Amino acid sequence: MSAAMIEEAAARWLLRREGPDWSLADQAQLDAWLEASPAHKVAFWRLELGWEQADRLAALRPALAARSGARRGLSPWTAIAAGLVAAVLVGGAVVSRFTPENSRTYFTEVGGRALVPLPDGSKIELNTATQVRTLVRARVREVWLDRGEAYFEVAHDTRRPFVVHAGAKTVTVLGTKFLVRRDGARVEVAVVEGRVRVSDSHPPATATPAPALTRGEIVVSDGASTLVAEKSVERVTGELSWRQGVIYFDQATLGDAARNFNRYNRKQIVIDDPEVAAMRIGGNFEAVDVDAFLRLLQQAYGLKIRDDGNTARISA
Amino acid sequence: MVDDPTLRAWFFREIFPLEAALTRFIRRNWRNESDVADLRQEIYARIYAAARERLPLQPKPFLFTTARNHLINTAKRGQIVSFEHVADLESSPVAVDILTPERSLTARDELRLVQAGLERLPPRCREVVTLRKIEGLSTREVAARLNVGVDTVEQQMVHGMRALVDFMLGGSGRIRRPSKPRAAKAVQS
Repeated sequence: MSAAMIEEAAARWLLRREGPDWSLADQAQLDAWLEASPAHKVAFWRLELGWEQADRLAALRPALAARSGARRGLSPWTAIAAGLVAAVLVGGAVVSRFTPENSRTYFTEVGGRALVPLPDGSKIELNTATQVRTLVRARVREVWLDRGEAYFEVAHDTRRPFVVHAGAKTVTVLGTKFLVRRDGARVEVAVVEGRVRVSDSHPPATATPAPALTRGEIVVSDGASTLVAEKSVERVTGELSWRQGVIYFDQATLGDAARNFNRYNRKQIVIDDPEVAAMRIGGNFEAVDVDAFLRLLQQAYGLKIRDDGNTARISA
Repeated sequence: MVDDPTLRAWFFREIFPLEAALTRFIRRNWRNESDVADLRQEIYARIYAAARERLPLQPKPFLFTTARNHLINTAKRGQIVSFEHVADLESSPVAVDILTPERSLTARDELRLVQAGLERLPPRCREVVTLRKIEGLSTREVAARLNVGVDTVEQQMVHGMRALVDFMLGGSGRIRRPSKPRAAKAVQS
């Protein structure tokens, strides 16, 4: 194959990887393509470097972002991400031309999912309405979870801890798989594999070291209170169903289920009646198909639904 | 054995910044202009295979020595072998390429460079890349904005990316589309 053909294929992969539909299956296909020949790998890396440098163009964005941010249908995160990039660039610092350890911002919109490969081989999978910033350096790998939920598969590296900052909590690992979800001050960490340490970002002087969590353990912290949930591998697995685009409820209240659907959809479910909100439901649902869920409530539970396209009000 | 993340960072830091000098070296020592991109990619692949065993301590001399050896081997494998050409290559000094200093760029230089690269793209291509990189639109959003098909946008974007990257790494910013097969069949074994 000619260099031009390989380069063209590499460019298509790179563009697809930036897209909102990028899945783990896609990543596996890309990995296979890269492994097929060193020529694929070097062509892909070369484009990655040049295309990243072309991100300097984002410095021209702020004026545009202010305008487009006000437009309907455009994610406010686009504007915020642009602001972040601009803030880094306008700082006036001399940025070394070929730094692989550039800080980068990634986000998904409501209902979106995305896979973020890091230069150290780790992978982050972003759930709906999520934003992370990443910084991979020689001695530490850092991720800031600004909002939303992310699943981490961390490449093992004993010399370089992997640190996730989620509000008041800091998660430190060497190499493992875990989930972090942030909703304002509430932070939840669930361990799928290996050992994870969750500590306060600003610990008091008298603090004792946090115990390590292992597979199946879930920590929920909200402000000052922290709860280590009982060990349950099934529950952790259930928490990860979004990676297949599915949300799973096991005897959840209708109120919780509605809140969960609202994370994935622009159409918001509202329940005014506390008795209705306390009803228990269970099952697997497609996260972005809120209409199917509403039909089920209507047909199987006999609930009334008033749906104006933006809001669905549920009552008995 | 060196792992891929380390190799990738090493290519970013040590090898790709030398692309302009490497391209000059190939041009000076090879007659057929249309082979340059293929030869360069083959040299990168060789560098990758060697660096995987152990990272060379001196990347720049290593790159140019590998490049020269690859040109000699390719010329020898060719069906029409020019002995003068091989002899020229074997006596060709690489020191001049190794000693040429690289200019390090500030963020502002780099922005100017990308802007210049963008200016060189064909108008339609430039528009698509601008929407992607400056306005941050996805392929689908760009297609909707310009009222054209997703395939068209993707094709323009692929072309724009290749040309822009070429320019950023010191090339002319004009690249060939892969429709034509490799011109110099004679040098393939």
